[in-house]
Amino acid sequence: MKKIVIAAAVVALVGAGTAAAQVSFARYVALGDSITAGVASGGLMQFYQERSYPGMLAQYAQANDFQQPLVSAPGLPPLLELQSFYPPAIAPSSNTPGQPVNLALARPYNNLGVPGFTIYDMLNTVGDVNNLIAGTSTEPEADLILRTPAVEVPPGSGNYVPFPAITQAIALDPTFLTMWIGNNDILGAAAYATPIDGVTMTPLAAFEAMYAAALTTLTSQTTAPMVVMTIPDVTAIPFVTTLAPYLDVPGVGRVPLIGSGFPPGSPPGPLPEDAYVTLGASSLLAQGIGIPLELGGTGIPLPEDLTVVQAQAVPGVVLRQEEVQVINARIAAMNNAIRSLANAHGIPVLDVNAFFDRIVSGHPYVVGGVDLTADFLVGGIFSYDGVHPQNIGHGIIAVELIDLVNDYYGTNIPQVNLDEVLCMGGCSNPGPPAFALSKEAVYTEEAFAQLLDLFPVRLPQVHSTRNTSTD
Amino acid sequence: MIAMSRRQIFLAAAVVVLAPTLTWGAGFALFEHGNRAMAMGGAFTGLADDPSALYWNPAGTAFQLDEGVKVMAGVTFITATQDFYGDSPYPGDGYEASQEDQVFFPPHFYVVYPLGDRIALNFAMMTPFGLGTWWDEGHAGRFISKRADLKLYNMSPGIAFKVNDNVGVAVGLDYGIGQVDLTRNIGLVNPYTQQLADIGQVHIHSDDLSNDGFGWNASIHAKLAHGFSVGATYRSAIEVDFEGVGSFTQYPTGYPDFDAVVGSIIPFGQKANLTSRIEFPEYWTVGVAWTHEQWTVSGSYGAQGWSSFQSLPINFTEHPELSGEEEFNYEDVDQYRLGAEYRASDTWAFQGGLLFDNTPQPKSAMSPLLGDGDRTGISVGFSWSHGAMQTDVGYLYLMFDERGTDGTSLSNYNGRYETQANLLGASLTLRF
Repeated sequence: MKKIVIAAAVVALVGAGTAAAQVSFARYVALGDSITAGVASGGLMQFYQERSYPGMLAQYAQANDFQQPLVSAPGLPPLLELQSFYPPAIAPSSNTPGQPVNLALARPYNNLGVPGFTIYDMLNTVGDVNNLIAGTSTEPEADLILRTPAVEVPPGSGNYVPFPAITQAIALDPTFLTMWIGNNDILGAAAYATPIDGVTMTPLAAFEAMYAAALTTLTSQTTAPMVVMTIPDVTAIPFVTTLAPYLDVPGVGRVPLIGSGFPPGSPPGPLPEDAYVTLGASSLLAQGIGIPLELGGTGIPLPEDLTVVQAQAVPGVVLRQEEVQVINARIAAMNNAIRSLANAHGIPVLDVNAFFDRIVSGHPYVVGGVDLTADFLVGGIFSYDGVHPQNIGHGIIAVELIDLVNDYYGTNIPQVNLDEVLCMGGCSNPGPPAFALSKEAVYTEEAFAQLLDLFPVRLPQVHSTRNTSTD
Repeated sequence: MIAMSRRQIFLAAAVVVLAPTLTWGAGFALFEHGNRAMAMGGAFTGLADDPSALYWNPAGTAFQLDEGVKVMAGVTFITATQDFYGDSPYPGDGYEASQEDQVFFPPHFYVVYPLGDRIALNFAMMTPFGLGTWWDEGHAGRFISKRADLKLYNMSPGIAFKVNDNVGVAVGLDYGIGQVDLTRNIGLVNPYTQQLADIGQVHIHSDDLSNDGFGWNASIHAKLAHGFSVGATYRSAIEVDFEGVGSFTQYPTGYPDFDAVVGSIIPFGQKANLTSRIEFPEYWTVGVAWTHEQWTVSGSYGAQGWSSFQSLPINFTEHPELSGEEEFNYEDVDQYRLGAEYRASDTWAFQGGLLFDNTPQPKSAMSPLLGDGDRTGISVGFSWSHGAMQTDVGYLYLMFDERGTDGTSLSNYNGRYETQANLLGASLTLRF
C-alpha cells in the first residue's frame, strides 16, 4: 500500500479558520485517549467507535462528514468477550485482529482520540501508517489513527514538521472541539496498582504545563468553541472495585488473601479488608496465587506493586488505601488544574469526575426506572475490560455533553435516544447464548496483558523513588 | 475460585429498589360519590340536600329529617384515556404509548335514618380512591409500572344534629379498607448482550380486606336568609398500614448462568411478605348555595392535604435488601366547583356544573404509575322523581391539562401526557 499523503490538511495549517458567529458542527474534532477513541472491552472496533461519545455528539449535532479510524470486527486488538458470567471468564474473542476500514481517508480523522495517549502524547507523539502496513508497529493505535508522522509546510518547501494529534486537529480547521485528555496520566497507577510519579503517573507540574500549552495552542490556532472534560476517579472503576481482598468461605467466614507486603519491601501478609484487588489478580487467583495454603491455594503472595523483572514491567494487583489516597489526591489536583485553565480560556468543563462520583456513591444513573451503575458486567456502563465504557456508558456521557453544549453555547442539539442505546435489537428475550459457556476461568492473563498494552509505563524510570506524597 | 461475594453484593445493589413507591395516590382520588352532586360539578357542600351529603357535608342531613328514612345507592362508571409522547434521552423522541382501556365503577351507598326531629343516624359507604393505570406489557416504562390499582373503601357511620332551624352539625367515623396492586418489570443489563434485559416481574398486592385504618369527619351546615345556605366539612386523613405480598417471576434471558445468579438474589417463585403504609390525606371543603324558586346555584372550594405526603417505604420482611423508599414533594391541592340546578317540574330537574381541580403531583414525579395534571370538568345531569323514588343520572367530562415532565422526571422517563376521562353514573334514592 502506498504512503498516504494528507495534503489537503496541510493548507489549513497556515493560520486559523474563520470565526464562527454561532456554533457550527461543520468540522467537529475530538481530541483524547482510548475513551474518546471508543475503545471498549480492550480494543477498537467499528461498532463501539460509532457509538463513542464523540460519535454520538457528531450524530445528534448532525456534524458533517465525521470520520473515524474504523476497524472491522473483531477489533484491534480483538475485543474481550464474556465467555461465562458464572464462573466468570473474560478473554480475547479471537487471535486475528480486525482490519482498518477507513485508512485511506485523505485528511486527518475527526476523532483523534488515541488509545494510551497522555497529554504529552497528544502534543508530541506521531504515528506512521507504514509501520502498521509493514507489521512493525510498536504503537499500532497511534499508527492507525495519526498515520502521517510529518507534513511539509508549506508544500514543496522541504520543511517537514511533526504531525501529532493536536496539530492534526488544528489542520482540520475545526468549528467545534472536545478534548478529554489526562486519564492516562493517572490510569497507569490503577492498572499497575502502583502510583509512582514519572512512571505510572505524570508529575503534576508537567501535566499542568502541558495542559496549559494544549489550551493555548488550540485557542490561538483555532476559533472553535470547545469543551474539556475532567478525569474520573480511576479507583472507582470495576477493574479496581470488583474483587474482594478475601475469600468468603462457607462456615469459616472471610479469609484474607495474601499480598506481597506494603510498603514494598515489607514481608508478605494478609490483605486488609479495605484493600482493592484489581481484575489483574484474577488469573493469578485462578492459579492459587494469593490464596492461603489451608484453603488449597499456593500460599504465594499476590504481587502488590509494580516490579521490573528482566526489563519487563510486572504489574501489581493490589491497591492499598494509602495508594488510593495518593491517586485520588492527584486526580483532584489535576482536575483543579483542568478547571482553572479552562476557566482562564472561557472554556466550559464537563465534570465527568463529579458525574461519575455521583454514580459510584449510591446514586445510580436511572433510565426509565432501571439503574445503571459502575458495577462490573451488570452495571451497564462499563465494558468487559472493567476500565472503558461500553456504548451505554458512552451514551450517558453524550447526554451530559449535549446538555452542557446546549446550555453553554445556546445550541439546540437533540438529545441522545437512550432507548436505542439500551435496547438495540430489542430489550427482551435476547435469545440463545452466542457462544459456548465456560472455559477455565476468569479475566485471563491475555485479557490483562491486552489492557496493559493500552497504558503507558515509562520503564527506564521504574526504579525512581516511589512517591506517596499527595503533592 | 474467584471471590464472588462482592460481585453478588453489587448485583443485589443493581436491583435493590424492587418496590415501587406508593406516593402516587393523588390522581386516584375520586370525588364522584353521588350522581346529582357530580352533575352539579361537585359543588354540593353548601347545598347538601340529598343523601350524598354524607360525603360532601353530613350536617346537611340534619335538614332532611322530615323526608323519612332515605336510602341512596348508585354507581359511577369511569373510563379514561391517556396517551404518552416520549422525549429523549428516554424513552426517546417519537415514542408513543397509550394506556389500556379500563372501566372503573366505584359504588356509593347512603342511609339517612331520622331519630326524632333533631337527629339523623347516618351510614355511608363510598370509594374515595378507586382508580388505576394500565400500560401495555412491552411499553418502555414497564420498569416503573405496568399496572397499578389503588382502592379505599370508606364505611362511615355518623350522627347529625339539628341545633336549630338554621344550623345543623354532624360528626362521623371513617373506617377505611385499602387495597393496592402494583406490577412492574425488573430490568438489568444482560452481561452477555450488554443490552437491557427484562429479568423478571415484581407484583405487589394486598391479599385481603384486612388492611384498614380509621379517620373521622365533622361538618356544619347553616341555612341563611334569602335562600342562602353554607356548609363546611373536614375529613381527616386515613392511615392504612398494609400487609401484603410481593410475588417475583423470573423471565429467562436465554443465558442459564446469568439467570442462575439473578435467581440466587431475587426470591423468584416465592411470595415475599411486605409491609407498607399509605396515608390517604385529609380533605376539607366549604361551599355556598343559593336557591330561588326553580333555581339553585352553588359553589364550593376544596383542599386536599397532599403536602404531608413525602415518602413511604415498602419493607420486605424477610428480604430487607429488596426494600425501597422514595421521596416526592407533593403539594396541597385546591378545587373550585360551580353548579346549578333547574327544577322544571315536580318530576324533572336538570343540572349542570363546572370544576377546576389542581394536581398535587410535581411534574418531576409524573410516570407511568401516574401522570396527573390539572383538570377542568364540565358536567350535566337530570333527576327524575316518582313518588318515593328518585333517579339521578349524571355525566362528567374531565379534561386534563396536557403536561410534560420537561426533562425533570425522577425516573428519567420524560415525555408528555394527554389525558381525558368520561364519567357516567346513576343513583337511586328511596324514601321509606
